[in-house]
Amino acid sequence: MVEADVLVIGGGATGAGVARDAAMRGFRTVLVDRNDLAMGTTGRFHGLLHSGGRYAVKDPPSAAECMEENRVLRRIAADTIEDTGGLFVSTPWDDPAYSDLFHSGCIEAGIPVEALSTSEILRREPRLNPRISGGFAVPDGAIDAWKTVWGCALSAKEHGATILNYHRITSIHRSNGVVTGATAVNEVSKEEVPISAGFVVNASGVWAGEVAELAGCRGVTVLPGKGIMIAMSHRLVHTVVNRCKKPADGDILVPIRTVSVIGTTDTEADSPDDVGIPQDEIQLLLEEGEKLVPGFRRARALRVWAGSRPLVKDDKASDADTREMSRAFALIDHKERDGVEHFLTITGGKFTTFRKMAEFTVDRMCAHLGTARPCTTAEEALPDSGHHRFYWLGARLARREETLNDDQLICECELISRRRLESAMEQRHTQNLDDIRRTLRLAMGPCQGGFCIYRATGILHSVERLDYGEANSALLRFLQERWKGVRPILYGDQLRQARLDDWIFQGLLDVEHLT
Amino acid sequence: MGMIEDLIEPFEEDTMRGSLDHCIKCTICETYCPFSNATPLFPGPKYVGPQAERFRDGGGHSPDMSLDYCSGCGICTLVCPQGVKIAEINSQARAKLWDERGVPLRNRVLARPSVGGRLATPVAGPVNWALGNRLVRSMIEKAAGVHRKAPLPQFAGRTFQSWARRHPSPVSNKTVVYFHGCSTNYFEPRLGEMAVAVLEHNGYRVIVPPQDCCGLPLQSNGSFDPARKYVRRLAADLAPYARRGHPIVATSTSCSLMLKREAREILGVTDPEVEEVGRQTYDICEFLLDLHDRGQLEVDFSPLPMSVPYHAPCQQRGHGMGKPALDLFGLIPELRIEELDVDCCGIAGTYGLKKEKYDISMSVGDRLFKTIANMEPEVAACDSETCRWQITHGSGTASVHPIELLYRSYGL
Amino acid sequence: MTAAGQGRIYDALVVGAGTAGLVAALRLAQDGADVLVAAKGVGATHLTGGTVDVLGYAPERIASPAAALPGFIRDHPEHPYARVGAEAVGKALGWFKAQFPDGALVGSLEANLLLPTAVGVPKPSTLAPETMAGGDLRNGGRFTIVGLTALKDFYPAYLADNLSRARLGQGDDGRVEARAVTLTPPTGGEADVTPMGWARRFEDAEFRKAVISGLEPSLDGGAVGFPAVLGLDSAPTVWRELNDTLGVPVFEIPTLPPSVPGNRMARSLRTALTRAGGRVVMGGRVVGVRATGRRLEAVVVDAAARPKPYRARDFVLATGGFASRGLEMDSYGLVRETAFDLPVTGMPPETEARWADEYLAAHPAARVGIGVDDELRPLDQGHEPVYDNVRVAGAALAGAEPWREKSGEGISLATGFRAAELIVELRGG
Repeated sequence: MVEADVLVIGGGATGAGVARDAAMRGFRTVLVDRNDLAMGTTGRFHGLLHSGGRYAVKDPPSAAECMEENRVLRRIAADTIEDTGGLFVSTPWDDPAYSDLFHSGCIEAGIPVEALSTSEILRREPRLNPRISGGFAVPDGAIDAWKTVWGCALSAKEHGATILNYHRITSIHRSNGVVTGATAVNEVSKEEVPISAGFVVNASGVWAGEVAELAGCRGVTVLPGKGIMIAMSHRLVHTVVNRCKKPADGDILVPIRTVSVIGTTDTEADSPDDVGIPQDEIQLLLEEGEKLVPGFRRARALRVWAGSRPLVKDDKASDADTREMSRAFALIDHKERDGVEHFLTITGGKFTTFRKMAEFTVDRMCAHLGTARPCTTAEEALPDSGHHRFYWLGARLARREETLNDDQLICECELISRRRLESAMEQRHTQNLDDIRRTLRLAMGPCQGGFCIYRATGILHSVERLDYGEANSALLRFLQERWKGVRPILYGDQLRQARLDDWIFQGLLDVEHLT
Repeated sequence: MGMIEDLIEPFEEDTMRGSLDHCIKCTICETYCPFSNATPLFPGPKYVGPQAERFRDGGGHSPDMSLDYCSGCGICTLVCPQGVKIAEINSQARAKLWDERGVPLRNRVLARPSVGGRLATPVAGPVNWALGNRLVRSMIEKAAGVHRKAPLPQFAGRTFQSWARRHPSPVSNKTVVYFHGCSTNYFEPRLGEMAVAVLEHNGYRVIVPPQDCCGLPLQSNGSFDPARKYVRRLAADLAPYARRGHPIVATSTSCSLMLKREAREILGVTDPEVEEVGRQTYDICEFLLDLHDRGQLEVDFSPLPMSVPYHAPCQQRGHGMGKPALDLFGLIPELRIEELDVDCCGIAGTYGLKKEKYDISMSVGDRLFKTIANMEPEVAACDSETCRWQITHGSGTASVHPIELLYRSYGL
Repeated sequence: MTAAGQGRIYDALVVGAGTAGLVAALRLAQDGADVLVAAKGVGATHLTGGTVDVLGYAPERIASPAAALPGFIRDHPEHPYARVGAEAVGKALGWFKAQFPDGALVGSLEANLLLPTAVGVPKPSTLAPETMAGGDLRNGGRFTIVGLTALKDFYPAYLADNLSRARLGQGDDGRVEARAVTLTPPTGGEADVTPMGWARRFEDAEFRKAVISGLEPSLDGGAVGFPAVLGLDSAPTVWRELNDTLGVPVFEIPTLPPSVPGNRMARSLRTALTRAGGRVVMGGRVVGVRATGRRLEAVVVDAAARPKPYRARDFVLATGGFASRGLEMDSYGLVRETAFDLPVTGMPPETEARWADEYLAAHPAARVGIGVDDELRPLDQGHEPVYDNVRVAGAALAGAEPWREKSGEGISLATGFRAAELIVELRGG
């Protein structure tokens, strides 16, 4: 039996943020996720740290909120953020009238905005379409979602919280209309873990409806607005580049770590677990990419994936166009709605404002519990952010310079050394190489694990003292996982890489005959 | 007979950086890199090229000094089965590195051989003596970082240009222009005389226009802006002849590569004038072999009963024209050529002259030196001047340009 | 550019310097042909493990390629082996073995060896260098797998763990017992030594002494398996010395690219080609061709400053598949052959998925390549040869899934050799 004051279901940004906030306010907190943290929507977006520019015309209050939280995150989570800056550029396909609206919208929302000439834009980003007719600079950034979420989780831990990843909630308990806790199942050991909690926060994003139902609260409709994103193998741009137009598909290119991500699309998915990639959406993104960066189709597409935005159904918009639904979040107070006390659902929203959403939620929780504890999440930095310095792309390169000859480079594409890999394996204590991938970016470079998967398996076998079957499963499972993201964009250079990787894994190592 | 020319793929100008997408991490480049195989200070061309380039954000700070141990030999680009422009990416990244740190005085001096040449030629005697004096060299090493044993050439005390001005080339309806380069002008004017003689023997009027350095040592030392100035000036000097359709023939495979492609691919110079000159530029062996293929080469070669090792310099191979010298040698009776299958002599232009790189350079060239020395030949043949000086320094064997063997065989 | 109607005409021009290209060029040069190899790089031989795999799985494990080939050819009429015939495969293998000093390459079409891979799976190979043959698992036995601390491309414990459960086939003649030992020979302080770096160290006698004395206490009489880094040019000497001094069979196990044995093989082939009088021009892609009707006249190769045409009577296209960029698929999904723009065959119809969901399954689009007739001439959609004097060899050919069949080197060798033989026949050789 795990005892807590508050149980937070869902380890995405919102859930991790709520857990941190609650723990910092002195509540005994438990955070639970059926998978590894940030494997839902949070781990599947392009990494944009909003300046709010994308909402400056459509939703100025939302834009202003983004800018505020942008500043807060830069303060408390500097090392997860790369200060890339952002551009909004007018291509020949964009309505020139929009730029004026954009400019005034930014000013109204308090977003620092600077008009730039075409030549200045091309000087900063030489790969952009020379037919651009001017644009603006705004303080967009690129943020590492996993690092931020783990930062929140570790911060929560420092304040006494318990993090239970790979635990699935199977039932939520009530007594006399008040929630009293839940039962979780450890997905690895299969054992049941009862959790007693005075308050439950449902922060499960796109799955919020399913989880709410476990507490007897029916009809919470969260529509999965699925979008796909393609990571291009290197940074075609070093600044976040947006099209200066009404937000639509494929109008943003985000440099995030060593890749640039183009996104995104917007269709209603069949279910929150639907991560299928429609081929026509891939072609759409490539077309839009070509408008921004001539030669985009010849550049190397590394990987494609889908994520679903949680869109709480609003009576005013039709089902089909999920983009129109509000991206502001929804806090559902189940006492009002369903007569179930001490149970809140928080969903919707965007990554940039997660902390604010969490604050709002914990404030409401405090109101219900009749205790006035102030929020301090905006003041205290996340652990590991001690340097208060933004992430710098060259950091791994600089670090490797120092250990060129006394540490082995295991993942060469992403410059991951053996010592770093071994310590991550020891820390995470996992048999799943995909968990390590999220921590370190293992196998996320151009060769998609062609060289490092074998090495990492050999090292895992040793560090975790696995038997042959466990090591083989780790290798085969990771190979399959990498394949899922590469298969839909198998053309050009990535097809060549895949063919070399086939030679290595099948022709040379013969992994399909592993027992 | 009709000929249908189907150009499959017009030459696509990948940006050098964009070509990193073609890297599939096969690491073949690193198995051939003579320098990463000789020193742990250089992590290898794949590492500093397509791999590290993904971590460079175009901003101010270059963290990887190890990049400076790349010699720019270009073997990586040559052997890459995927078409990654590795050496070019490295060169550009290195220029940024030195831009940030400031190019040291030593590199700036070494990179301007024509300046050194103009100053030292009138006082060649004393300068050569000083450069041959152990004490002076130790002092230079301490003060300026040029290794005391580095194979610095001797100033000839006269320039090839002054000879050319006094030399009347016979009238002919076939004309070539000779691009002699700094080394022929200040250090080996004899080579220039031999080249002119061979060309004239084949019925060509040889024009030697006033000309200066091609800028290659500046480029390889990371000083891109001065390099661009030099190459543009050189192109301006040669362009009037190129426009008239005269081939421009060079005896340095390094300098001619600058005009043929490095100006564009590394320096990013796309001036039509430079392109036009590049298109008309030929290595002298390439030029003579083309003549032979058309049945127009004089083949009155006398026997040369010698056994000569031939080393094709890295930048010679970068021309992508094969090894025309070998086919020319095949025309000389009794000449036995041993084609050396060893990759690099280690000098890499000015790289091996530097104090911190000399040992690496000698280690790279060791196998080549030993192979040549073991043959105990009269001479070794090599198309690039700095490589010839390194080969002599490392193996004790005299070293000549292939043209000299043709000159001898023609009996000129 | 040379004037029309004049200029050197080679007897044969081979595009591609991988195994198929070098084999074809060498066979032609041995016949006295004036051969030029044009390649944009050093070819993919460097990436192979060093063995010649003719046929390993179809889909069951093959014990005897000689016995299996006729049936395989019947079942796979579009396969490159069907184009050249089983007899040609045997002839190519025999010729190839003879290119190396006696005994340097062991094995025959009659029976595959079963050699451990770097993860400890027994893999069927038809020919293997003598430096690897000692690892043959067909009769079981005891094996000590040796790792080197500063080599990150080899994990002996994991390998041995899998090797001990190896399934050797029906009626196992013996069990396999495998254990691991890790040595830390002197590397001058370097923690990350590449396979080539190790190979160079093994060429030094003092270094070998250190390895031997470090290893001797751990020996248990069983065969000793090293990662494939036992020397470069002196590999046979290095291997023999280890064999003789340790007193037990010593063998190499190929691991991740770049492959040292692959490098050795590529260099042997290139040296043999040069000695036989062949020439190599490296550094440019083919950017055009000149043809008259069904006769290819010249190939235009990219070089510094201007592309250069090379004329020849016969041509061999050995540019490899997708991995070597001999074939390319664009972002619209269109496949083309990149040197001569030959028609490509084997793509599944639009309505079918090209790639299976499971990574290790058979992929419908995997067999894409150039379709050829029994003279290896490329065919158009009407099954007529596009050019009469062009032969296609190696991984560019349609109809095979070499990494699953374990047939890559066999296909390159058999088709490269056959392409050359067809030209030699025409020359009256």
